[in-house]
Amino acid sequence: MSEVDFRQAGSPISGPQSANLADILERVLDKGIVIAGDIKIDLLDIELLTIRLRLFVASVDTAKKAGIDWWETDPALSSRASRNALRDENRELRRRLDALESSTDGGDPPGAPDEAAPVKTKKRRTT
Amino acid sequence: MTERSPEGSDTLATYVFAVCRGVDPEAFTGLPGVGGEEMRALPLGTLTAVVQSVDAADFTDQAWQSRLSDQRELERYARAHHEVVSATAACCPTVPLPLATLYLDDERARQGLTDEAERFHTVLRRIAHHAEWGVKVYAPEEAADDTVATAPLAATPSERTRPSPGAGLAYLDRKRGIQRRREQHRDEALRIAETVDTEVRGLATAFRRLRPQALQLTGQRHVQVLNATYLVADHRADDLALLTRTLRERTGVRIDLSGPWVPYSFVGEV
Repeated sequence: MSEVDFRQAGSPISGPQSANLADILERVLDKGIVIAGDIKIDLLDIELLTIRLRLFVASVDTAKKAGIDWWETDPALSSRASRNALRDENRELRRRLDALESSTDGGDPPGAPDEAAPVKTKKRRTT
Repeated sequence: MTERSPEGSDTLATYVFAVCRGVDPEAFTGLPGVGGEEMRALPLGTLTAVVQSVDAADFTDQAWQSRLSDQRELERYARAHHEVVSATAACCPTVPLPLATLYLDDERARQGLTDEAERFHTVLRRIAHHAEWGVKVYAPEEAADDTVATAPLAATPSERTRPSPGAGLAYLDRKRGIQRRREQHRDEALRIAETVDTEVRGLATAFRRLRPQALQLTGQRHVQVLNATYLVADHRADDLALLTRTLRERTGVRIDLSGPWVPYSFVGEV
């Protein structure tokens, strides 16, 4: 994918541009002989994680702009998607619970949740 | 590591890109570097450092902190650094230094780097006639029925009709099935990753496992199950290309080969 032919004396500049930024970062940041310079830059102490996180945020934005947001709707990949699914599930359950509770007003114990559909509830309430 | 901070915006500092042996300054003349004055060769006895005078105020802790928040800026610096290192390595044996290695001035740089001369020589011997190659293995696509099975979750539940009796059990069964398939799938992917790693190690001088890159970081759809890097002798580069091709055909998974890189990952403690 990312071909960086540094031995190609003719065009040493064109190579690096095509290399994946993540690949370059993981090499230039935490590799190489670590020489403590005079000017103290905490760059080497900063967890790569921080950078990854920031890159992550940036790349998500970029991807979204390009219309790639499939992970947002896949519960296996996005906590927000699973939250949404949970919220929907919750709303659905509340609706059924409401239906059930209003059906018990009539005195009849409710049947299996499967049978506690709103239509039936209304009928019972009239009795 | 001293903690003297540069004072005043007109102070210059010496940024060091790499240390090499017998460089032709032509290799990096004209490159912008990380922004500053002309790129220079700083002699260190038998070695040479590739340096640039930069505005010290641009390289304070604070400047870096804000730079890290800005992907474009970070990318600019990382690529500029990489570009100089690559150009230098294209013409002579080179030890890359990490991004942002700075000294107060040339004299301090010469002192600091000369103190490490022995290590530089050792590293140069180790990486002579070698290049670094990255190998990434991606998990194969999951079976299509998984997507179908998870689809109802994403559907709007308000439109759902009343579930039929036994629907709960069926749902759990389906969920269990998905979970099982996902686990099998992951085990299989990891097994393939191990196979690839073992085989590539066979022709490498040294290797390193890197943290798999996050899905969102790579912009790929496929999950990375192996992110490794290998120090490979130049005369074995063709064998490596052939091996990865063979492995790709044998396993049917996506395997990316990247390189040759300057042996960044093999100049520290290996």
